[in-house]
Amino acid sequence: MPKVWMRGPEGGEPKEVEATPEILVPLLVQGWSQCDPPEEVTEDVREHS
Amino acid sequence: MSANIREILIGFGKGKQTDIATANLVANIWQLKKLNAALANPKLNTESDAEEFGKGHEFATQVFKTSWDIAGTIEKYLSSDIAAWAMAFGLGKVVKSGATPNFTYTCTPLNPTADGIELPYFSFIEQIRPGGSSVIDRMAVGCAVEGWTIMVGSGPGRANSKINIEFVSSGKLTEPSGITLPAATVEKLLPSASLTLTINSVDYVTNKNIVSLDFGWKNNIRLDAGFFPGSGFQSAGDATSGAIRGRLECGNRQGSLKFVARFASGSPELTSLKNQTTGTAVIALQYDANNKLTVTFHKVSFSAAEVGDTDGLVTVAVECQPQYDATNGVLSAVALCNTDGICQ
Repeated sequence: MPKVWMRGPEGGEPKEVEATPEILVPLLVQGWSQCDPPEEVTEDVREHS
Repeated sequence: MSANIREILIGFGKGKQTDIATANLVANIWQLKKLNAALANPKLNTESDAEEFGKGHEFATQVFKTSWDIAGTIEKYLSSDIAAWAMAFGLGKVVKSGATPNFTYTCTPLNPTADGIELPYFSFIEQIRPGGSSVIDRMAVGCAVEGWTIMVGSGPGRANSKINIEFVSSGKLTEPSGITLPAATVEKLLPSASLTLTINSVDYVTNKNIVSLDFGWKNNIRLDAGFFPGSGFQSAGDATSGAIRGRLECGNRQGSLKFVARFASGSPELTSLKNQTTGTAVIALQYDANNKLTVTFHKVSFSAAEVGDTDGLVTVAVECQPQYDATNGVLSAVALCNTDGICQ
């Protein structure tokens, strides 16, 4: 099942959910909207002296 | 040389405009065929100085451009592509999922608290012989869907599954359009014979009783409120060119659902009306597994049920009253098609 990223009406962290109407419709009614996936954070592997 | 009205080409934004005044780019426009001859003619509203004192008479000596109106209707055989477009632009809120070539658009009406009341905008192009000697070549910028109606009837032809889409515009007009329309999209039709329909727990296809069905959505767009101080002019910065709208917002929205079914002993419609029974109404039309429209009214009761006849057989004509369900709202639409980027 495909997944999509959604963000709540108050903003905050996006959430990945299954793209089924049973899940999406209640979220849309509550004011959630589709958003881009969060940018991946790359771990800083440099050595610190 | 005179032109045949059947030469008319229409194209419109498959994707949404970035704002009401910025036209769709050509890459985001598609061409589809339509059934109606009516054009979206721009209407210039004017006013005169007839009422002003100081002229010595009651006649006009000057006419002023006041504002512009553009509205139109797109009548089409129902396809998965236009269904997805109408649901997304007409309801206003959409989630796209899936991947090439199979996409799913899950659509609901706007939540005014979270989403506001401004609908997504698109550009609408009409052309007859575009190019050096065009008959008509114009683009209405900043259009929004006023409403759509899907009509499903009995019979084998394409005309038994149609959609009418009404739209209104900011009034902004670009002439010539400057757009070279792409080839017409090959649509996947959703025929009447594919219907599945369950209303208030009754499967009207399995019991072979459904005769016809109409359902729709209307945004009742606040046209007058589109003009506000600073809403803009037909020619930017030219106060004599007539005002255009700076926003198109939905008013009191309405869903509608009515159907005609054969009426026999044990048919529940009159009892459901009397008891004001509530339930869901789920309507689906399909071309194949990847081209399908499912519209769900999440809570309906019957507001009228009148027994009559259709072709000599006893039928009941039912009007439903869509209600707001606390979890799922009034209605939702899940539209599957092969077209990417609708209302994106």
